This record gives sequence, C-alpha cells and structure tokens, in this order.
Amino acid sequence: MRKTVMALIIPIIILIIWGILTTYTGLIPSYLIPSPYAVLQAFENLITNGTLLTDTVSTLIRVFLGFMVAALVAIPLGILIGWFKIADDLSGFIIGILRPIPPIAWIPFAILWFGVGLGSAIFIIFLGSVFPILINTIDGVKRTDKVYIESAYTMGASQLQTLRKVVVPAALPNIITGLKVGIGIGLMCTVAAEMIGSDNGLGYLIFTSTSMLDTASAIVAMLVIGVIGLAFDYLFTRTERKINW
Amino acid sequence: MSFQLKNVSKTFKNQDKELKVVKDINLTVDDGEFLCLLGPSGSGKTTILRMMAGLDFPTNGEITENGGPVSGPSPGRGFVFQQYSLFPWRNVLDNVAFGLEVKGMETQERYENARNYIKMVGLTEFENSYPHELSGGMKQRVAIARALANDPQALLMDEPFAALDVQTRHNLQEELVKIWQEELQTIIFVTHNVDEAVYLADRVVVLSRLPGEIINTFRVEIERVRDRTSTEFVDLKKEITDVLGY
Repeated sequence: MRKTVMALIIPIIILIIWGILTTYTGLIPSYLIPSPYAVLQAFENLITNGTLLTDTVSTLIRVFLGFMVAALVAIPLGILIGWFKIADDLSGFIIGILRPIPPIAWIPFAILWFGVGLGSAIFIIFLGSVFPILINTIDGVKRTDKVYIESAYTMGASQLQTLRKVVVPAALPNIITGLKVGIGIGLMCTVAAEMIGSDNGLGYLIFTSTSMLDTASAIVAMLVIGVIGLAFDYLFTRTERKINW
Repeated sequence: MSFQLKNVSKTFKNQDKELKVVKDINLTVDDGEFLCLLGPSGSGKTTILRMMAGLDFPTNGEITENGGPVSGPSPGRGFVFQQYSLFPWRNVLDNVAFGLEVKGMETQERYENARNYIKMVGLTEFENSYPHELSGGMKQRVAIARALANDPQALLMDEPFAALDVQTRHNLQEELVKIWQEELQTIIFVTHNVDEAVYLADRVVVLSRLPGEIINTFRVEIERVRDRTSTEFVDLKKEITDVLGY
C-alpha cells in the first residue's frame, strides 16, 4: 500500500505541473504539448472508434511473434555458446559487432528480404529482442556453479544430461532476465517496425497522428506502450523472484 | 573398492606461474577401509581426493581403482563436496534420485530407492523440501544420501562437515560411521580437523603444507563407537597434532 502511494507521487506531480503549464497558464501552446484533458479526450475517442484496441492487439501480436522467434533462436544458441568454448571463440567477435547496430538501421534490408508488411516488422522486433536474450543466456550458462556440474558428473550424468538437467535450470534465472529485457527492447522497436507497410499498431498510431499534429493521440499510444511494458516487466520480475537460485 | 596412488604429483599452471600442490604421493587404500586425509588448509588434500574422483588428473604418477586407471568421474565413486552442492531447483527426493534418473531408472522405482537413502539419513519428512528450506547439516545429509543412492563402491568426502556447528558435526560423524558399517563402502574423508579424523578413521594419513606430501600415517585401533574422552583417543589426538605442527 505504502509502496503504491509512493510510486504515484511523482506521476501525480508531473500531471499537475503538466496541467498547469498547458491549461491554466497557457505558457506552452497546445501544438507543442497537448493538455492532459486533450489526451483524455483523444483516449476516449480512440476507445469509442475501436482503433486503440485494434492497434494494441496488432502491436502485441507483432511483438510476441518477433520475441518468440528471438527466444527460439537465442536460447539454444546461447546455451551452445555458453557451454562450448569453441562456439564462444567463434561467435564472440561477430556478436560484439552486430549487437550495437540499431534495429532501425536494418529497415532497408528488412524490406528487401521480407517485403513490406508483417515479416519485416517481426524481423525488426526480433533484432531488438535477440541480443539481450542471447547475452543473458550465455552468461547464465557460463556462471553455472562448477560444483553443480561436477556433482552431476560424479553421479554418472553424460555431458548432454548435465546440460539439460543441470546447466539449463541453473541458467534459468538469467534466461528469464534476458527475456524480460528482450521483450522490453522488442516493444521499443514497435515504432520502427510499424513504419514499414503496417496500417495499424501503436507505433503506426504514433507516427501517423504526429504527422497530422494530433499529438494527443500520440501520447495515448505512447502511454499504452508504457503500460504494456510495465505489465511484462511485472510478470517477468515475479517469475524471476520465484526461481531465484 | 581399493585405490592405489603411485608417485602422484600435481602442478597447477596459471599463465606462467606454476604451483606444485601435491608431491610424490604413494598410498594404497584397501577395500572397505575408512581413511582420513588430514592436513592443514592448502595441503593439496582436496586435490588428491579430486584426482581419485576423476575430477582432476595427476601431472605425474598414476591412480588406479581396483587395478584399473581412474579416467574420469563415475557413480561408483560417490563424491560429497565441501560446499553445498544440492540442485536448488530440485526437492530432496529429486536430488537424491538424480543419479538413478540419469541412469534411466523408472520414476516409481527410483523414488522408492531414493526414499530408502533419505530414510537412512533421517530426512523422510523432508523429501518434498527444497534445499533452501534445509539447514546446513540437513543439506549435507542429503548430499550423502544422494551419493549413496548410486550404490557406490567408494565414497569420497571433501570436508563435508567443515561448515557445521560442533554438535551437528558430531551427530553426522556418528551417523556416517553407522552407514559405513552397514554398507561397508570404502570411505576416503578429507579433513583438517584432528578430532574428526581420529573419531572416524581406520587410518589417518597426515599431509604437509604445500606441496602436500605424506609426513606420517597413523592406524586408529580404538574400538567404535569411539569415546572422545578416553585416554587413548586423547593421546592419539595429541600425537597427531604434534606431527601436524599446529
């Protein structure tokens, strides 16, 4: 209870200052920052005409698909790289180079390879999600306490059994952390992803409404992305706490 | 299971530094013997035990078990680690059943088996508990049960009771002797505690500081259950302590 109250103090202060600056004093013109009331009206409008729901759902589907592909690629690859030194030596340099490239820079190639539409969007979100999952999985596997691995060997486990029954569960907390960061970054890529051939989605809503100077609707979409991110974060953090070993 | 160590030495290389931790160990452990390797911390005793387990390999010399070379870890040589080594994501039952699980034993059968060993260490009520819910002494009990569940011919124990309080340690020592008497495996037990060595062992092998060499061997012929206050116990402890140079 106390924590909830504490968490709300700053947002409420921001809301009050925002309201004063935009509504009562008129210090900031509405085309620069819309008033809270205008945002609320935009929200109501987007709810009643149904676009907000469609946009949210289609963004969620894209993020999920991109994130799922990223997880399916990054977790097995991370286990491999974390376990086999040769895989680590082979991949360290190339991962180091690819990782800092912003997903948005890949847009031209996304269009060339996957065409305009869903494929490209998934690819961009995949690029955002894949590296945090990969890096955390590698790290988790490498950090597996040696005593667990040696225990498994002294009880007759093969390398594959040790990997499956010891290393993967031991690395699970790190893998979950990777997934948490990965889905967050995937969500951050939605605007970029939806710039290519999408005709719906929260990212699409942001840049179309901005281009029509409807900044209030853009803020609504931004806040929805924020809330979705917060919800994912909460879910993963709860899972992390449960399996913290 | 019998062991033979012939001129065993071990040198660890760290970049350009070399550290000799074990030097010219010649030792025979008889089948069914309870042997303690006693030495100050940093006497290479853990390294010797790890080499017998197949977790490390000698730089020179050779180690054989029942006449054959030790080429790697095996469930026939159970190992109990000094650190807590239970898998935190498995409950007691699944920890103890791990060795049987990787051997491919059916669930029902391996649980039945595991329960016997959990009972042996007195933790039947805790079979569904997770390691973080157990005390240090209970964890090491489970670790012993987990090693025994694979029906090993030898049990290699690396200061398993070092982190426990005196009372718990004494209880576990007593139980270990009982288990050994019932199961008759060979036990090689590493410790830096003279009292523990004299209480447990048939034979105490005393090692020097680095590089670890055997400086003396004592046969303990005090009848079990041993009385810590008896003169022979106290005298032997003193004699060994003098050799150790504490």
